[in-house]
Amino acid sequence: MSAVEDTVKDIVVKIVHCEREILKPEATFQDMKADSLDMVQVLVALEDEFGIEIPDEDAQKFKNFGDFVSYVEARVAEKKGNA
Amino acid sequence: MLKGKIALVTGSSRGIGRAIALKLASEGADVIVNFFRRREAAEETAREIEALGVASQVIKANVGDPEKVSEMFDIVSGRFGRLDILVNNAASGLPRSALELDAKVWEWTMDINARALLLCAQHAARLMEGRGGKIVAISSLGSSFVLPKYAAIGVSKATLEALTRYLAIELAPRDICVNAVAASLVPTATGMLYAGGGKQEMSSPPPTTPAGRLVSAEDIASVVAFLCSEAAFMIRGQTIIIDGGTSLAPFNLE
Repeated sequence: MSAVEDTVKDIVVKIVHCEREILKPEATFQDMKADSLDMVQVLVALEDEFGIEIPDEDAQKFKNFGDFVSYVEARVAEKKGNA
Repeated sequence: MLKGKIALVTGSSRGIGRAIALKLASEGADVIVNFFRRREAAEETAREIEALGVASQVIKANVGDPEKVSEMFDIVSGRFGRLDILVNNAASGLPRSALELDAKVWEWTMDINARALLLCAQHAARLMEGRGGKIVAISSLGSSFVLPKYAAIGVSKATLEALTRYLAIELAPRDICVNAVAASLVPTATGMLYAGGGKQEMSSPPPTTPAGRLVSAEDIASVVAFLCSEAAFMIRGQTIIIDGGTSLAPFNLE
């Protein structure tokens, strides 16, 4: 597991109060029982944690947890590349 | 009418905020577009503002976060050095009844919808020092009437209107006019989420008003522009209702 994925899981568990074990790549946001406010708070926490931006236009495309982690990893890598 | 003025409209990437931003720009103001979640939409609004021949700037900030509000005003101060108009429009919430609300949803809604006016007005007043200004807060009929699944937002809007009155008096000696507008249902994407307690579909026939149609975002923008004009100088601390008469005749709808 990448360090980014680990942090994403920490943040999701803290905000959504779901079990860490359910956060598999194929898990959907319904599986996590996350409401729209939970999701926004997760995105904002990740933005602050990594200094990236995850606009809703992109967030709406995530089908499952795996998509979500891949997106965050790509944005973090992009940011490091620009630094 | 607003030529040379600098305006900040919170939550202006889309919907009512966007209509207000474009209206103020069409009257000659440079307009700062604040957004939280939708950068592409905010940048599109800014492009349309610039196409009207005035300046624009996009600033991302969650107005529910005091640090982000402070950073936003630092950017405004750095680029423009002053502010003439603040429109406190950004709002959030979930469709929940009072008994379904938890502390997290309550705090989120109150922080973004009500506390943001306090924080933004404090920063704005500093940038309006010695020159006066206009502050307009966007409320809704849910502040005074009970709408389905609207408890936290309705209470946050009541707080916003009460705060508008306090700010109006405290800032009156500085020539800063503070008012609010409260509209009935506006059929924006967000408005339709709350229509009929979240059950209304965009395709269902929408309710109407005694005036024969629903309130549009442009109707609100026109009143906000008036409150930002010198013609409204003696209006202080008021909440102007824009509802086509709905609140006066609740049993009068076919």
